[in-house]
Amino acid sequence: MAEQPLHEHTLGNGLRVVVCEDHVVPLAAVNIWYGVGSRHERAGRTGLAHLFEHLMFQGSGNVAEGEHAALLEAAGASFNASTSFERTNYYETVPVSHLELALWLEADRMGTLPAALTQANLDNQRDVVKNERRQRYDNQPYGTAFERLCRLTFPAGHPYAHTPIGSMEDLDATTLDDCRDFFGTWYAPHNAVLSVVGDVDPEETLRAVEKYFGGIPAGPATPEARPGDLGPLSGVTGEPVDEDVPSPAYFAMFTLPTDGGDDIEAAEMAAEILGGGSGSRLYDRMVRRDQIATEVWAGVTRLAGGPSLALVEAVGSDPEKISAVLDEELARFAAEGPTEDETARATAQAERGFLERTETVTGLANALSQNATQFGDASRVFTAPARAAAVTGDQIKQMAGRWLAPGARTALTYGGTAK
Amino acid sequence: MTEVRLAERPVPGPFPAWEFPAAVSGQVPSGPGTLRCELPGRRLAAVRLVLDAGAGREGTGQDGVATMTARAFLEGTQAGGGTALTNEFERLGASLFASADLTALRIALDAPVTRLAPALELLGEVLRAPALADSDVQRLVNERLEEIAQEDADPGSRAARELRAVLFPAEARASRPTGGSRASVEGLTGEGVRAYFGSIVPAEATAVVAGDIAGTDVDATLAAALSGWTSSGPALPTADTIAPVDEARIVIVDRPGSVQTYLNISHSVPDRTDPDWPLLSVAAHVLGGGLTSRLNAVLREEKGYTYGVRTGILRMPYCGVFVTQGSVHTEVTGDAVADALTQLRSIRERGIEADETTAAISALADRAPSEYETSRSVAVELADASASGLGVDYPSRYLAAVRAATPESVARAYTSNVDTDRLTVIAVGDASQIREPLEKLGYASVTVTAK
Repeated sequence: MAEQPLHEHTLGNGLRVVVCEDHVVPLAAVNIWYGVGSRHERAGRTGLAHLFEHLMFQGSGNVAEGEHAALLEAAGASFNASTSFERTNYYETVPVSHLELALWLEADRMGTLPAALTQANLDNQRDVVKNERRQRYDNQPYGTAFERLCRLTFPAGHPYAHTPIGSMEDLDATTLDDCRDFFGTWYAPHNAVLSVVGDVDPEETLRAVEKYFGGIPAGPATPEARPGDLGPLSGVTGEPVDEDVPSPAYFAMFTLPTDGGDDIEAAEMAAEILGGGSGSRLYDRMVRRDQIATEVWAGVTRLAGGPSLALVEAVGSDPEKISAVLDEELARFAAEGPTEDETARATAQAERGFLERTETVTGLANALSQNATQFGDASRVFTAPARAAAVTGDQIKQMAGRWLAPGARTALTYGGTAK
Repeated sequence: MTEVRLAERPVPGPFPAWEFPAAVSGQVPSGPGTLRCELPGRRLAAVRLVLDAGAGREGTGQDGVATMTARAFLEGTQAGGGTALTNEFERLGASLFASADLTALRIALDAPVTRLAPALELLGEVLRAPALADSDVQRLVNERLEEIAQEDADPGSRAARELRAVLFPAEARASRPTGGSRASVEGLTGEGVRAYFGSIVPAEATAVVAGDIAGTDVDATLAAALSGWTSSGPALPTADTIAPVDEARIVIVDRPGSVQTYLNISHSVPDRTDPDWPLLSVAAHVLGGGLTSRLNAVLREEKGYTYGVRTGILRMPYCGVFVTQGSVHTEVTGDAVADALTQLRSIRERGIEADETTAAISALADRAPSEYETSRSVAVELADASASGLGVDYPSRYLAAVRAATPESVARAYTSNVDTDRLTVIAVGDASQIREPLEKLGYASVTVTAK
């Protein structure tokens, strides 16, 4: 696996910059991670990090309302942003001819966003975000499952107990001053990483970054985030959900080790072997052999400031039966560990995942920003296959026993309605 | 606070040159045609095999058999063998998927280039002798029945199903769900699935391989992998070409308690062989392509009625459907439809601005290098062009035609193909709250159907 050389630099104001050449396609991917997400929100203002992300598209000191999107669309760019627990990410992939325009647009909103904040924009984007919440969560069958499980998994007030979308009440309560304070506290150059990947010259690109971002003041130090750690769960904390859904279902959440160490590599492989796709243990048992579920899936969300999370979802008429069989499979896995073949497959799949995450300039730029932001090491992105290959079956077994033990999770039971 | 010093806004240079990747045609002896596309640096290879066995060719009463055949195919060569087959592909870092739409039955294989040959061999084994066992089909029938319940509960997929049911005459295959209805799926059997697969003619299929495959003899690997795959049954029926019927209609699919209304506003257009298709793509972008499009400028950025709407054209076998869709807050449903109709009529009334056209062309054509960066996206597009009989150069011709669009040609194509007085409006939402506001629009009579 050829590691691509990285060109890294920190500007005087603290902005960390990572540039990587990739001349396959005449594109440039620009990606900024700000070290702020829903975990940094205070009580009563859930959803603010994400609502603020929307306001970043409403204009800045030298960019009129609507102009950010208009310029990028006319540039043939793909662009968007996303907010998670730990970070907010802005990105655009442009034809390389438009790289400097993209840098200028990002610099303008990093440096001058409050100049364009208005009550009308806040009110409008609040409505948009409330419709986003309805569309993605409230109006979808099982749509609030992840939010409910986080509330069950983490103690009240824990930074990860609420999800980035926030509550309707808190969105309604958010003021312009909240938004200005939020920007002033978190949107400093030293709290961001800028990655550029594509058909670029590294020296020229670093010069352009200096030119556009160098004049932004460093700003005050960001506050220390509240601790987010949480160990393995004990006992099953269950909640029946009284919602009109098409079929009964069982959703479960487990905590896993924090991202960044050796343990998460083995723990994620354990979760993959258990429930990652139609070749997994849970799928084989529940869907193919016992036929107690028509669908079962497990996935992992890696988190760097708190526990990573494993989610298991199963659709089937008897959630209690599903829960019992899940316990059986967890107990068996914890006792036996993976077969050699399962470990080999999990390693191959981890390599495949790495190829998929980094095969586009957009994906690679995001991965570089992530590793630089969360682990202070952009080049860590390239060690993913080696980290997975170093994991042994014993480590997987140990992690399964510790974090994916039977009888230790939070769970939702959807009763379903008569068909 | 320290002063912010920012550089002047840069003026971008001309867009860099880029061409849709070229593909080389070949032929597996007495087997599928092949398209080979070399993409330097793409270490994940994509194989897309399109079989002329889409749901359009299902026999009477067999709705869903194409989808069921695709799913049963993934269970491999032994009854109950799905886990083992999936594991064999996973060991290679590869994955196999299969699905059917009205046009084709599509098999998708992704694998690291270094393990493409063994992955293709494995695919060949399944093609030669899929088990398609009774027990697997019975289980997959139950899973499909469950899936229908999930689709009906999802506002977007429920709207799509209703649209086809009202836009196409009942005797058209396109009027009914691609994966079959509850009644038709309950009647599917292993025997029916085996017969359907046996009727597929390998020589009518196309295999596309894309990736960093320079230096590997992909044609020989394909020939070896696909040899011995033969047809064993009578030809499948020919697909019908029954045309959709546009008229002004509003259909509410009642979803009590819904906090939003999912809207789908549609009109049929000609298929992709028509020179107006690229121009209609530009029109769709002007109307509902991005945040600055006419619909989003009003419905999202001005009024906050929605998280966003999108206008596009559905690729159907013998036509297209020009569709605008998205979710709006229940209480503004009537106003949102009124605003959407106003914007959809705006091209007829005030034409298209030059800068709108330029921006839409860039958003479609200058975004193409990013859209077609992966082996998968290139292979999917080539395979679809092949399955639709459009020719291997279709993606390039389409992009060239988009670039040649003018405000006048786009406005002409839109107004001559989309009659905004004959739009079908599907609204999936709470009928008790949205019926009256929709009736008050006076656009069309409103019918309500149960969820």
